[in-house]
Amino acid sequence: MKTYKQPNSVGRFGEFGGMYVSETLMPLLLNLDKSYKKIQKDKKFIKELNDLFKNYVGRPSSLHFAKNLSKYINGPRVYFKRDELNHTGAHKINNCLGQILLAKKMGKTRIIAETGAGQHGVATATVCALFGLPCYIYMGSKDIERQKPNVFRMKLLGATIIQVESGSKSLKDAMNEALRDWIKNVRDTFYIIGSTAGPHPYPKMVRDFQSVIGKEAREQILKVEKKLPDYLIACVGGGSNAMGLFYPFLNDKKVKIIGVEAAGRGAKTEETAATMTSGTPGILHGSYSYVLQDNDGQIKEAHSISAGLDYPGVGPEHSYLKDIKRVKYFGITDKEALEAFQTCSKLEGIIPALEPSHALAYLIKAFKNKHKNKVVILNLCGRGDKDLFTAAKAIGFDADE
Amino acid sequence: MNNLDTLPKKKILSLFMTCGFPTLNQSKKVFNEMLSYQPDIIEFGLPFSDPMADGPIIQEANKLALRSKLSTQQSLNLIKELSKSKYNTSFVIMCYLNTVRKFGLNKFIKNIKSIVDGIIIVDLPFEEEDAIKKSLSKNNIHLIKLISPMTDKKRSQKLLKNSKGFIYYISATGITGSNKLDYKEINKNVKSIKKMSSVPVLVGFGIKSKKDVIDISKKTNADGVIIGSALIQKYFDIKMDFNKYLKSLKKFIQEVKI
Repeated sequence: MKTYKQPNSVGRFGEFGGMYVSETLMPLLLNLDKSYKKIQKDKKFIKELNDLFKNYVGRPSSLHFAKNLSKYINGPRVYFKRDELNHTGAHKINNCLGQILLAKKMGKTRIIAETGAGQHGVATATVCALFGLPCYIYMGSKDIERQKPNVFRMKLLGATIIQVESGSKSLKDAMNEALRDWIKNVRDTFYIIGSTAGPHPYPKMVRDFQSVIGKEAREQILKVEKKLPDYLIACVGGGSNAMGLFYPFLNDKKVKIIGVEAAGRGAKTEETAATMTSGTPGILHGSYSYVLQDNDGQIKEAHSISAGLDYPGVGPEHSYLKDIKRVKYFGITDKEALEAFQTCSKLEGIIPALEPSHALAYLIKAFKNKHKNKVVILNLCGRGDKDLFTAAKAIGFDADE
Repeated sequence: MNNLDTLPKKKILSLFMTCGFPTLNQSKKVFNEMLSYQPDIIEFGLPFSDPMADGPIIQEANKLALRSKLSTQQSLNLIKELSKSKYNTSFVIMCYLNTVRKFGLNKFIKNIKSIVDGIIIVDLPFEEEDAIKKSLSKNNIHLIKLISPMTDKKRSQKLLKNSKGFIYYISATGITGSNKLDYKEINKNVKSIKKMSSVPVLVGFGIKSKKDVIDISKKTNADGVIIGSALIQKYFDIKMDFNKYLKSLKKFIQEVKI
């Protein structure tokens, strides 16, 4: 069996990925790539990061056997990789710690980030507070409205929120503005990208920092089940939690891997964020990957009830994994995700974020009364606190009462 | 014949404008107005939904142009139509790579061959340019290079090898339409570029007034300037009254033609 070895030295996953940015940013990305390569072998860096993972984040996150949900599905034994238990409530912190340590090493003094659901914004604001660096978070006004608790969290942590009014006023536009900020402030600024998207080396770097999820899950499942899982399931927006779980299993051909995208009001409608189901290859945010676009290559606006998945692009490694058929991708609608959100809360006593609710919905739908004696690991990558208002509104519950 | 090969030696003026801005019909009038002054170069911006390297003014122009569902083909047709009164002016397209890719490189070249002299693909770095550059040069279209203050000497040398047309020097580390001009730094970098390449060096990003144009000419070694955002800004300054806009554009172009 051929060992999986992606990307190549210029950030290509097959034909996907690359660095499509203006010359103002090119030298910075090349420098970032060089610095990242260096610290990967730096024992002090690795030790520092592992200490933070253990004592600040609370890693390893547990692998919980979801007994009630498994019984309800009447199919496989389902395990949750509980990255929602991390400090700040999602997997995003794993990557932010890695990147801020790198920023420190590179002597950068100002941090910027984009955020959709606010989880990456909160995680970035958190690590900036910890390391005493000024933090500027770009966030679409639509997302500010639907993720208010996280906006307040970021402010408490000392971050400055920059409201983005351009385009669809969500994650895509926040990323455009963050990139513009970086072009303007190239000398002192480090851009912490929150997903496995953007130009090289981000997709690789973010995957590497997140792959702690999959490494732990692998050890944990071998301990309890004495075998590798039969299936991995994770939601995919930009795709960082999914890559984190999938990456350490890519060489295990027997492990079937499933990525779940947000299909919004339906993958065949205009209101979707299911990039790989409904999109075509194109260039967005410096990377060649599947993207929602029209015949002229204009990027379409995405739609999803989940702000974290509301993105018309996807990380280039997912595009590659789709094309080589190593991972299968499916779409789940807003409505299906909302149902799973409630089912999981009632059955397991865990209120999941709307993002992993998409993965849960797929699991319930596709595995019901099937695949008995199989083992599934689902990445529960975020908790639902931030979504309470959105979900209440969608379900028709008056949360203000 | 490629007009870019016969650019004047000094005080080159390049004017940038977004195609289809504010509307396709008005855009024709805008470009005709610009053409009537026979600037050395006109840069045609192809609107893109996510113009990552452009500032708020050009972003807004893109948005307005795309509001009426302007297609790439319509933009290219507009350029073709205008080329009838092109004379010595060089035509340069400035765009993002996704536009060319989606349209199809060969079809794109077929549409602009013998009309357009050069193309700037903002997000196509030197590392990725080979195939495109080859196809363009076969059709006598120059791929124009951008150099930023962050580009170090070693990289500049690679980038500038066999450069054609002109070099676009990004004066401020910033997005189009930023404000600060540091003449000392510009001069230093332009001088160093000129040691590596014999084609003209034009300074763009942040040039807003006659004074800026004169200062670049006097205080630096650059061969000319590129003005973009400032031309578009006028439209918003006069509260989007199109007739007034044409007049103010006329006045401004007369001023900056030094």
